[in-house]
Amino acid sequence: SAAANADNWRYAHEEFEGDVQDVFAVAFKEYVEDNSDHTVQVYRFGELGESDDIMEQTQAGILQFVNQSPGFTGSLIPEAQIFFIPYLLPTDEETVIEFFNTSTAINETFPELYAEQGLELLKMYPEGEMVVTLDEPFTSPDDLRGKNIRTMTNPLLSETYRAFGATPTPLPWGEVYGGLQTNIIQGQENPIFWIESGGLYEVSPNLVFTGHGWFTTAMMANQDFFDGLSEEDQQLVRDATEAAYEHIIEHISGLADESLEAIQEASDEVTVTRLDEEQIQAFRERAPQVEERFVEMTGDRGAELLEQFKDDLEAVTNE
Amino acid sequence: MDMNEEDVAEQHYRSTLPGPLGVVDTWISKIEAMILAVGVILMAINTVANVIGRFVFGESLHFSEEINRILIVMITFAGIGYAARHGRHIRMSAIYDALPTGGRRWLMIFICLFTALVMFTLCYYSIGYIQTTYSRGRVLPSLSIPVWIMYLWVPVGFTITGIQYLLTAFKNLTSRDVYLSTHVVDGYKDTETEV
Amino acid sequence: MTTIIISIMIVLLLLGFPMMIPLVTAAFVGFYMTFGGTGQMETLIQQMLGGIRPTALIAVPMFILAADIMTRGQSAHRLIDMVMSFVGHVKGGLAVSTAASCTLFGAVSGSTQATVVAVGSPLRPRMLKAGYKDPFTLALIINSSDIAFLIPPSIGMIIYGVISGTSIGELFIAGIGPGLLILFMFSIYCVMYAVIKDVPTEPKSSWRERLTAVQKALWPLGFPVLIVGGIYGGIFSPTEAAAACVLYAVLLEFVVFRSLKLQHIYTIAKSTGLITAVVFILVAVGNGFSWVISFAQIPQEILAAVGINEAGPVGVLIAISVAFFVACMFVDPIVVILVLTPIFAPAIAASGLDPVHVGVLITLQVAIGSATPPFGCDIFTAIAIFKRPYWEVIRGTPPFIFMLILAAALIIMFPQIALFLRDLAFR
Ligand code: NA
Ligand code: NA
Repeated sequence: SAAANADNWRYAHEEFEGDVQDVFAVAFKEYVEDNSDHTVQVYRFGELGESDDIMEQTQAGILQFVNQSPGFTGSLIPEAQIFFIPYLLPTDEETVIEFFNTSTAINETFPELYAEQGLELLKMYPEGEMVVTLDEPFTSPDDLRGKNIRTMTNPLLSETYRAFGATPTPLPWGEVYGGLQTNIIQGQENPIFWIESGGLYEVSPNLVFTGHGWFTTAMMANQDFFDGLSEEDQQLVRDATEAAYEHIIEHISGLADESLEAIQEASDEVTVTRLDEEQIQAFRERAPQVEERFVEMTGDRGAELLEQFKDDLEAVTNE
Repeated sequence: MDMNEEDVAEQHYRSTLPGPLGVVDTWISKIEAMILAVGVILMAINTVANVIGRFVFGESLHFSEEINRILIVMITFAGIGYAARHGRHIRMSAIYDALPTGGRRWLMIFICLFTALVMFTLCYYSIGYIQTTYSRGRVLPSLSIPVWIMYLWVPVGFTITGIQYLLTAFKNLTSRDVYLSTHVVDGYKDTETEV
Repeated sequence: MTTIIISIMIVLLLLGFPMMIPLVTAAFVGFYMTFGGTGQMETLIQQMLGGIRPTALIAVPMFILAADIMTRGQSAHRLIDMVMSFVGHVKGGLAVSTAASCTLFGAVSGSTQATVVAVGSPLRPRMLKAGYKDPFTLALIINSSDIAFLIPPSIGMIIYGVISGTSIGELFIAGIGPGLLILFMFSIYCVMYAVIKDVPTEPKSSWRERLTAVQKALWPLGFPVLIVGGIYGGIFSPTEAAAACVLYAVLLEFVVFRSLKLQHIYTIAKSTGLITAVVFILVAVGNGFSWVISFAQIPQEILAAVGINEAGPVGVLIAISVAFFVACMFVDPIVVILVLTPIFAPAIAASGLDPVHVGVLITLQVAIGSATPPFGCDIFTAIAIFKRPYWEVIRGTPPFIFMLILAAALIIMFPQIALFLRDLAFR
């Protein structure tokens, strides 16, 4: 196409250079720029404000694309907080990827919810399994009693840790390292690559794989913008998204192991605990309390979505 | 405790607007002062309670943060009008200070009119922003209060500030001295206010 | 567009507009030019309100409130008396006491102005009576109050931490080393000055008097313990430390010393609220401004133009120092932090510098700038409080400025001055 039709699209996400969302955004950008005359400007964490801000800017049409984790979308789409409910996603990576590929909730229900907010949901994808780090290894909810676990400011996530027996303690990201070092908090949860890049293992060396959830994120476009694109450009965006998704699935599959290796290389203090099925069961039994809170917050629609999630989960785990 | 000059001046403040408008404006000033004081006290209580909650009961109040967010908006936008009344906004007065009184008076009139214009413009767009926020239905996650409600005070604060600068422009037009606000004559004491 | 925005800002600033106006006008024009009209102005409002959203900002009104309660009560006096009883009799001891009192009170107060008021007001008459010249006395008070800006808590550090996403707790701890270094330099100068000018010494306090002074200051000494110990020992986050300070100040002045009555709380809270609002509206418009320059990728443009990408870490630090120092000669320190930090953010990130190290240096530059002629808010505070002419207030500053610049150079060359305590506490 002619250069006269070339647009500059703006794309903001919530993470730093080289993190998963950034890798996704750059892959999207490269595909678009290789296959058309359009350009994509990527804005990283903090450049245009916080997560809520870039979302509003996308709704206002200033940004064309945004990557926001559903957990942060809770104030706009309460149902999106469903990803904070523990043990609603499979634990092993292969099944998780299959879940994201086939789930009705993810591929049909969520696009409708986002559409109500003027957003074209292009892709939901997993960033990594949530790993809990603590000042000592733990295997049961009893071990977590009296432990301050850092959470993001989200009532449902707090509920999860309350259900697990711990004391949820909201703290901004900037204070997490120091908070662990000085024992204001005794633990936190994050995908393993953040534990590595943030050096959190230096101050909170006991890694526990609880299997309770995956850090999930979503990439979307302003709907008016997307609807106004030519058929050809819409296809371009879809293809670029798909290309970025495939790239990211490959990227994260090695990432967790690499990060863990790097952590173990860097520190002798680190312990790794993978809960067995029986131990997981003790935590899983606490999940209904969080589900109740979720339904309380989201009403019938939330309850339906929860059912759908469970059906989808069953479909992939029974195969 | 001794009251300092500013405390005393604030206590004796009366609006320069004539008649019933003046009465209303004086009351607005008292309300602003009350929002500032009560806002800070509530913020202190809320923050202290959160600390005590964590230490004594081992549980942070997760709505505490959102209450403080609401209070910050209240304090800031009640305070800008109040600061305008008492000539307390931070300014840098290089060229301004070098001018003779007559020149300073005209410059001050220009400053006040332009500032008022900016305030009214911001008021206009903040109303638009509130409407947009209202239509999107965003809520504070813990308190479940719609976000637009806590912003209602924003356009009010801009309007009151704008009116104060208009009144100051008028005061400068009708007097020989240079006024920073309707009550504060420009002088060394009041050229700079800073934390 | 860059040139237009910056010109608008500088012209309006120099004309004497309230500082929020140059920032918001520049942002408005930036939005207008970027989006070709007023269609996206609501995002300016969004970003202004987003600017005052971070919870860490709550520490600002809390520290101001605690300092305001103490300044109006007795704590400040008791701290000064204690310092005086120990070093008052040494040659230059009164001057050293003034510097040390500023440092100690700075460990309570987040702002230089509060320190100028709390320490400068009672000590200046004593120094003049003892034979120190007024220009020296004024310069000492103004510049020692800068130490208060580096010693935790510091409003400048809170604002920098919020904008740059740096841990405020770490910044606080990292400020202590440089603060003490500067106190040390000032003390040497004070002694030299007293010896050269042969200023008579104060009568020496007896150990009994010292003990009484320490006992009286014991309660106020709890503040540095609360803040530094609380953060260092992992008991408090900075915001919690601020809340604890308020609680402690209330207990002290209202219950223990009974220097204030309950009805005074209203006046004090109102005055705190007013200062908070005046600062936070700047934080708000500053955030709107930084959004539009970030959206238009202006920092990258400016930094590339000055060739910062080839400068290396030390070059970046020197560039930052010069920029903040010069800007603070004309503009309020908080505005400078608000405007310049986002501009330098890409260079800081790319240089691999420790953001805490950079933050301490920026805080120091901002403190120096606000005491440096031609303009500086501490100078104007001193003019206002002591009712002295401008020339007299600034005449004694050059030696102090020299020492402060030397301190900045040392911090650039030896990051450990700032990072040593931080590493001990947090690494
Ligand atoms: Na301080
Ligand atoms: Na200066």
